[in-house]
Amino acid sequence: MSEFNITETYLRFLEEDTEMTMPIAAIEALVTLLRIKTPETAAEMINTIKSSTEELIKSIPNSVSLRAGCDIFMRFVLRNLHLYGDWENCKQHLIENGQLFVSRAKKSRNKIAEIGVDFIADDDIILVHGYSRAVFSLLNHAANKFIRFRCVVTESRPSKQGNQLYTLLEQKGIPVTLIVDSAVGAVIDKVDKVFVGAEGVAESGGIINLVGTYSVGVLAHNARKPFYVVTESHKFVRMFPLSSDDLPMAGPPLDFTRRTDDLEDALRGPTIDYTAQEYITALITDLGVLTPSAVSEELIKMWYD
Amino acid sequence: MSSQAFTSVHPNAATSDVNVTIDTFVAKLKRRQVQGSYAIALETLQLLMRFISAARWNHVNDLIEQIRDLGNSLEKAHPTAFSCGNVIRRILAVLRDEVEEDTMSTTVTSTSVAEPLISSMFNLLQKPEQPHQNRKNSSGSSGMKTKTDYRQVAIQGIKDLIDEIKNIDEGIQQIAIDLIHDHEILLTPTPDSKTVLKFLITARERSNRTFTVLVTEGFPNNTKNAHEFAKKLAQHNIETLVVPDSAVFALMSRVGKVIIGTKAVFVNGGTISSNSGVSSVCECAREFRTPVFAVAGLYKLSPLYPFDVEKFVEFGGSQRILPRMDPRKRLDTVNQITDYVPPENIDIYITNVGGFNPSFIYRIAWDNYKQIDVHLDKNKA
Repeated sequence: MSEFNITETYLRFLEEDTEMTMPIAAIEALVTLLRIKTPETAAEMINTIKSSTEELIKSIPNSVSLRAGCDIFMRFVLRNLHLYGDWENCKQHLIENGQLFVSRAKKSRNKIAEIGVDFIADDDIILVHGYSRAVFSLLNHAANKFIRFRCVVTESRPSKQGNQLYTLLEQKGIPVTLIVDSAVGAVIDKVDKVFVGAEGVAESGGIINLVGTYSVGVLAHNARKPFYVVTESHKFVRMFPLSSDDLPMAGPPLDFTRRTDDLEDALRGPTIDYTAQEYITALITDLGVLTPSAVSEELIKMWYD
Repeated sequence: MSSQAFTSVHPNAATSDVNVTIDTFVAKLKRRQVQGSYAIALETLQLLMRFISAARWNHVNDLIEQIRDLGNSLEKAHPTAFSCGNVIRRILAVLRDEVEEDTMSTTVTSTSVAEPLISSMFNLLQKPEQPHQNRKNSSGSSGMKTKTDYRQVAIQGIKDLIDEIKNIDEGIQQIAIDLIHDHEILLTPTPDSKTVLKFLITARERSNRTFTVLVTEGFPNNTKNAHEFAKKLAQHNIETLVVPDSAVFALMSRVGKVIIGTKAVFVNGGTISSNSGVSSVCECAREFRTPVFAVAGLYKLSPLYPFDVEKFVEFGGSQRILPRMDPRKRLDTVNQITDYVPPENIDIYITNVGGFNPSFIYRIAWDNYKQIDVHLDKNKA
């Protein structure tokens, strides 16, 4: 049983199910861990989860989102141990219902779509940065409700997630146009609102997301356009970054070492950034429409009740 | 109790009597004959009291449904009379709390392990049997309905709420008086707000502060109110100036505080004010970094979210702007009656339960309302 590798399991989950979010994959990986290792005592279980969580966070360069999943899982285990004093039950419940968590997480996306659909009105032009499944499910839902809106999608370099979203929206029959990231400033006056997803939502209500979100946020704020974050509540994470520098990243944000002359290879820099809460109008989550300051309350409810 | 006995003897007479009252009130709302959120809130509560006294139901859920229907028809009659829907939702929340308490007490006796209070973020990992248990509870509680007298609960709730609404100015004044300094210049664009008026008068009389109040004229809908307001302040020895709406920007550099009254406050911290021009005053204040204080009673907090501001802003007849217009000559005249102020333009809300940042308003709202009652319309819920 010693060959169980939490990182591999985690990555396999993400690969097998493209609809799965990182926190859910992390939870699933931890559940699998419990199933395979079958810890004998409560203390052993907690230690196993702790060490695996650390291992997982260390091995994945972009760990913000999965940290949220691990946090919720750990908290849930600890809390139930205290409440029931009956960890056997709790363990059984977790192991048996692995699949249920996944389906619930997907359902929460539908719930977000239902809550958020009121934000989209006829004739809206919506700017979307990056590809987020939550944002897409909201746009999809709005299109199903026959709301006629148009979308502007940024290319979202370097991951080029924008292309993926562009194709999906086009298939859905939503009028959509793809722009380069640097054109956001030029078109921001034309759009009515901005939707982005999030990899993680910090305690302050700011979001950690694909690089470029911060620039879009600043531009939207400057042009006085509402900037909405569409995200599942299991992505709320107990972090308090003050700027993008505080985020866990693979390398230094600015790397000045000399490399080859190949320009493609020379492209470096951060892949995620932090958008502070003052740029965010509201968060559309499965818990309802929240102001950024409501995020800390949800986290506090979970950790200090 | 007597009302209950009455309904059992003459049920039809009582219900038809109430229906007539409801119809009259709906008609009054439609004709905009009830003015001001204070009056609307109180009249709605009086009507609700009669409605509940006459209502008959088998299960408390029936009663809740009936109240929701009533609320829906009143909201339809006057969609921007928010206080009407607010007070009905407050009473619904009181009833639902009572129902919850009842079911809680029954579960403790039936199942030995108390359900842990699970935070909403945990929904993901919760036990699957949770909804199953709830269903059992609700079916069980129907047999227990005799235990709690929901009519009494609702009527007590209404009485408490009426008391609260009537005493709101007291609560606000207590907090607000400390916020005015000596020799300060204040500006208010909402002279129709009774709360603002009382607040200024008490500040003058109780703490004996000398200050100057600038009142915007509010052309055309509010000019009369503005003049009345200025006269009343002057009678209390407060230095008062009526200024034209267009002079606000020029005067703002001298103003120490802007005080606005509200008609409704939404969960995002934005507000609908009771006359137009308030939004631009707040915009000016922001430009000069002048603090904007919004005074609001708790009953003005609405659980709605201003998705579409244009739906909430009301427009009036154009004859007040251009009295006689030759119909052959085309000219569009717009008379906006209310105004939406976004949350970023308000610094603090002063309510009868304390002062709050706009971003915290959602918390106060959810303390008083239930999410399930946000949409009273069945098609929307």
